[in-house]
Amino acid sequence: MKKENLLRSSCFLLRRARYKSYTQKLRVSLGRRAMCALLVAVCSFVSAFAAFAQGERGAIAGTVTDQDGAVVSGAPIQAKNVKTGTLYKTTSSATGNYALEQLPTGTYELANPVLGLMYRKENVVVGASQTLRLDIRAVDNSLNTLGEDRTYFAGLASPHATPDGPPPRMADGKPDLSGVWWEPRVVDIGEATVLPWAAALMKERTANIAKDIPRTRCLPNATTLLGRFGVNRLVQTPALLVILNEADVPGYREVFLNGRGHPKDLDPTWTGHSIGKWEGDTLVVDTIGFNDKSWLADLPSIITPHTDMLHLTSRFRRPDLGHLEMEVTFDDPGTFTKPLKMTAISDLAENEDVQEWICNENNQDVEHMVGK
Amino acid sequence: MKLKMGFLVLFLGVFWPAPIFAHHSFRAEFDSSKPKEFLGIVTKVEWFNPHARFYIDVKDETGRVTNWNFELGSPLQLRRQGWRQDSLKVGDQITVEGYLAKDGSKMASASKITFADGRTVFNGSSADGSPSQ
Repeated sequence: MKKENLLRSSCFLLRRARYKSYTQKLRVSLGRRAMCALLVAVCSFVSAFAAFAQGERGAIAGTVTDQDGAVVSGAPIQAKNVKTGTLYKTTSSATGNYALEQLPTGTYELANPVLGLMYRKENVVVGASQTLRLDIRAVDNSLNTLGEDRTYFAGLASPHATPDGPPPRMADGKPDLSGVWWEPRVVDIGEATVLPWAAALMKERTANIAKDIPRTRCLPNATTLLGRFGVNRLVQTPALLVILNEADVPGYREVFLNGRGHPKDLDPTWTGHSIGKWEGDTLVVDTIGFNDKSWLADLPSIITPHTDMLHLTSRFRRPDLGHLEMEVTFDDPGTFTKPLKMTAISDLAENEDVQEWICNENNQDVEHMVGK
Repeated sequence: MKLKMGFLVLFLGVFWPAPIFAHHSFRAEFDSSKPKEFLGIVTKVEWFNPHARFYIDVKDETGRVTNWNFELGSPLQLRRQGWRQDSLKVGDQITVEGYLAKDGSKMASASKITFADGRTVFNGSSADGSPSQ
């Protein structure tokens, strides 16, 4: 009824014009009728579309608690539409409640991309005009020491304030990725299936609560170029990109940009060998030559192993002055049945410097790692 | 085909219990089900990576004094949250809430520190305050 009144009023307003001649009146009259018809058609279409859209959408809602049953506020929730890959995000309220509304019907994967508060649920089917109640009981493994508690990990997912502006460029016109960057925030954790041997090892590592992860003994952590903890400084020259990892070992990575290939007699190492080339404004880095000693600590599931067949393809973009986007494909046919793709973003840490990290200076933890 | 080699496990399955940490696994070393409060005097502060530490003398009901070793975060993170290496000083009387080491040693992970003047600081969480604030 209201819609009809609105249409009537609109058409009435169109009728109020005064005319200088019959021709003009006729022209305007025809135009007026056409306009009215168009208006009616548009409104009807919008109305029908809204009804259709409403019917084709649903919602997911629930409460986030930790393993002790305590509600978790501020927990990022991410639903990924399996078909389209579109991400829908929200954050749990002070009382732990969350709601993802206006979701197109379909199948979703629900996950928390934040390290330290883990959950993932697949095959979440959202029906039309329905609100799916889904309480999340997250596993909080972050109850850690100073600076490494849940707040710290949540902070990893929280954007920092960054300056505005276009991405700086080198003299040759290529984007300049140089700068100090905060820890990467995982945007999409990707998905993968692992072979049985890897699944068995992951089960064992889970049972041991990851007590043997190399980092505990101050060995390298990340296989990706950006360290997972602490800031990273990128120093770019036309022929070489150097990355200083604040809280990782050995603390630096080199990416050769001068067109050289990978050595044929490459010895497997913890961090591999990296070469890069530009595809437009995207720097594509190819890394091979890994040993099989590290854990894929870059992934939210850090207990994931890999073989020496691991091949990383990292794509870096600096869309603006304050952000560095990273998309990493983990290809390891010895571990995964298909490549795993993870995307992350780093914020520019304008006023930060890389600090010293001498991990084994006072590492007392190893002897106390009892696991279970 | 590799798919026939055996079952495939969907990694990161429902609520995959992935242990996550920075330097080491918290739960592999400390027992989160055993929070404990200590009242004592700071005897030593170690401002080193991978974890800053402090030690306090704790007197029990019988008057016996035991020295406890408390683990903090890394100085990297603590500095960014306002801590400095003299934020805790030898001789400070503090109350510490922490989690005991699983192996029974006189060691714990500090989660909350309360100074004699009532200032309370948490585990390096900037939202909770820091010694400089």
